[in-house]
Amino acid sequence: MRRGGNAWSWFWMILGILYFFLPLLATFLFSLRARLGVLSFQAYQDVFTDPDFIYNFGYSVVWGVLTIIVGILIFVPTAYLIRLRLPRFRASVEFITLLPFVIPAIVFVFGLVRTFSQPPFLIVDSPALLVAGYTVLSMPYMYRAVDTGLRSIDVRTLTEAAQSLGAGWGTILFRVILPNIRVAILSGAFLSFAIVIGELILAQYLVKPAFAPYLAYLIQQRAYEPAAMAVISFALTWAFLGIIQFVGRGGAQAQIGGGR
Amino acid sequence: MTHLALTNISKNYGDNIVVDDFNLDVMKGEFVSFLGPSGCGKTTTLRMIAGFEIPTTGQVIIDDADITQKAPNQRNVGMVFQAYALFPNMTVAQNIGFGLQIRRESPDVIKQRVTEMLALIHLEQKGDSYPNQLSGGQQQRVALARALANRPQVLLLDEPLSALDAKIRVSLRAEIRAIQKKLGITAIYVTHDQEEALSISDRIVVMYDGRIEQVGTPFEIYNFPSTAFVASFVGTLNTTEAEVVDPKAQTLRLEGQQLQAADGLEGRRAGEKVRIAIRPERFNFASDERKDNVLDCTVENITFLGSIVRVQVGLGSQKFYMDTFNNPFLELPEIGSKTQITCSREAVLVLSH
Amino acid sequence: MTVLNNVERGAPKARPASPKFSWAWLGLAPFFVFAFAFLLYPSSTIVVGSFRDAKTHLFTFKNVLALLSTPYLINAYWLSVKISLVTSVGGGIFGFLLAYSAIRGGLPRFMRSSLMTFCGVASNFAGVPLAFAFIALLSPSGELTHILMALGFNPYYHGFTLYTFWGLSLVYMYFQFPLMVLIIAPAIDGLRREWLEAAENLGATSFQYWRYVALPILVPAMLGTMILLFGNAFGAYATAFALTGGQINLVTIVIGAELTGDVLGDAGLGYALALGMVVVMALAITGYTLLLRRTERWLR
Repeated sequence: MRRGGNAWSWFWMILGILYFFLPLLATFLFSLRARLGVLSFQAYQDVFTDPDFIYNFGYSVVWGVLTIIVGILIFVPTAYLIRLRLPRFRASVEFITLLPFVIPAIVFVFGLVRTFSQPPFLIVDSPALLVAGYTVLSMPYMYRAVDTGLRSIDVRTLTEAAQSLGAGWGTILFRVILPNIRVAILSGAFLSFAIVIGELILAQYLVKPAFAPYLAYLIQQRAYEPAAMAVISFALTWAFLGIIQFVGRGGAQAQIGGGR
Repeated sequence: MTHLALTNISKNYGDNIVVDDFNLDVMKGEFVSFLGPSGCGKTTTLRMIAGFEIPTTGQVIIDDADITQKAPNQRNVGMVFQAYALFPNMTVAQNIGFGLQIRRESPDVIKQRVTEMLALIHLEQKGDSYPNQLSGGQQQRVALARALANRPQVLLLDEPLSALDAKIRVSLRAEIRAIQKKLGITAIYVTHDQEEALSISDRIVVMYDGRIEQVGTPFEIYNFPSTAFVASFVGTLNTTEAEVVDPKAQTLRLEGQQLQAADGLEGRRAGEKVRIAIRPERFNFASDERKDNVLDCTVENITFLGSIVRVQVGLGSQKFYMDTFNNPFLELPEIGSKTQITCSREAVLVLSH
Repeated sequence: MTVLNNVERGAPKARPASPKFSWAWLGLAPFFVFAFAFLLYPSSTIVVGSFRDAKTHLFTFKNVLALLSTPYLINAYWLSVKISLVTSVGGGIFGFLLAYSAIRGGLPRFMRSSLMTFCGVASNFAGVPLAFAFIALLSPSGELTHILMALGFNPYYHGFTLYTFWGLSLVYMYFQFPLMVLIIAPAIDGLRREWLEAAENLGATSFQYWRYVALPILVPAMLGTMILLFGNAFGAYATAFALTGGQINLVTIVIGAELTGDVLGDAGLGYALALGMVVVMALAITGYTLLLRRTERWLR
């Protein structure tokens, strides 16, 4: 059963490879067909010169970066405190960070929008709500990434060493702890970014410029530009993952991010 | 009557020769150990008996039946693995009964045999426990019972005690031997621990680099090692190079002093360098008793090992160890002082290479 | 692992940090404030809103009852559950076979790490771009459709369409099976070689080994993962929306439509719908946790 390359093993593997690659190939091919009868990068040209794309994608990048920053500002101190000082809060904090896993995104967005579209919290038009929503959606991944990173360094000793050298809390957090969990934060940041880029419903409802709604809209309107955009977004995913693998050198974890 | 025969067995992976020209005849009920360092091919040979490896050349014959090419699940040899390999999803009883279940024995037969086996390994109360609830030693006993429940023709044990604490190792190896004797089952035992092999085997096969170095009883292996490797691997040993003076008179020169051997210098020429070995316990202080050889030396170090006192002496540029029994009235010379040690001519072993 | 003695001779317990009402608690405040404002409170409104009449703000069951008596909505749940079941079981089994082939199937070593990498990426490639990728592949003007038509076989004449249940299932599987591969791989690694050898040594055939040893060990992990996959598919919105233009009757799509266009005409019903989703998810997670406990019973 185990000796030699099994026929069945090859079968499943080839099937898997086909299933994995065919859609990607099709997308890529499709994206090259913008100019009739000839394969060209016309669609990519169109995409990069399309002001709407730049507008929407640019905003998504901005939302992504903001989400990451907010995430770091909130979750790093939290995870740090839990690990160092307040272990009794671990259970409740972890429960909270896992809620977005359990509650489907659509449900959560529904509640979020309903809550904040009525007085007294009428902030539904503010981009702050969007970023807050994204932060919550990415919380399970970001928090877990930070926590994993903290687990792998000796937080207590580093803190005590820094304190004995006269550092205050801000210094400790941002100049001692943070640099040492860079890789973990990077992977959390990547997943957060993927979620922001792929998230559809929140941006749709809040009518804010974002990549996913734009792409969804475009699919109904055009044929080739969406293909190019899909290829671009996929290439970005690869690139990010590559960076994380390279910087982290292994320790790849099973994570899913992105709107489904 | 030969029960298990391994003839011209060899195994290579491409250019890598793992086992070379292995020949062995084992009698029914014999307990044979394969002894050697990591990578010497002992486990590979065992696995060829079990069927997990197929020999490149040679045959495995049990009870006159050639099983060389048979699938591992057709051989009826019982194997005990180093890592126990108990099925974690089954209780102890289910593990032990697994082989019988495969053979579709009736539940009554299985139950009875399991009870028998549990009694054999003294774990009657543990039938319904899961492997992860047992200690390492207990798990290994269950593994043994599981292998024996099938009434195999041959029992194979692959370093079964390596993963256990020292104390358990000692008691469990005696238990294994006792069970094997009681059942009269032929057993092959792989280990790198020479003390283990010496204490429980009928015969030992010392292996090195894929080849058999020596086959013999523990007594033979220890007292009459035929190669330098066997001599150094089994027990502690003093080895050094000496120069032949007169091959017929069996005399040698070592560090300017005369050494008398009993035999082993046939075919050597005067002036030739040979490797000799002397066991530490064969030395005495000359002040206690003078034997054939008396050597002048300097006391360099004395180590107290409990029942043994190990004296390190310097003979010219060579260092020798001398082991003597401890007793409260032992008089030991001062470190740095000159003394004389003695040994018989038979104690001087001439090694073949 | 050893159960030899439970004796813990009075090792002095580390004293817990004294509960000072110190700045440390304040340090956690941002997190809790944030979580409360943007997660807990809005989520609780789901529950509250389900049992509240949208107009009179009085406690009522009518939202839930209305939901249960509207066939169109019940069908939405049924369709969501159906697609989640199909893709979690299908994706789960396929993922398992793929993982096992790469790890224990005797294939070249590099295939395993390549598979893991691809799965890491594929499980993130969901939502709108994925939908489009399949449109590019299998829509009436898709690449594969063209190739098949050139070979004389038009799938659309045979009743296939990308934009309904089976097409969507096919798309969903794209992010389902990689997740199974990634999660089940360690479990397959954990299938020690010695167990296979021990089973063979005791006379078992390959089938018997699977039946008595390997599957019982793997099944809890697999089932647990399938439940995770179930939740994954159940909550999916973007993929379905992008593929069908919002036309397919899944619960997530209905809720989304309700958000953007108040299609149901009664806000309370929307809440009840959302609550229903949470209930289904909670059941799934409970099942998952129970199965996980079962696996832990056997492993060290």
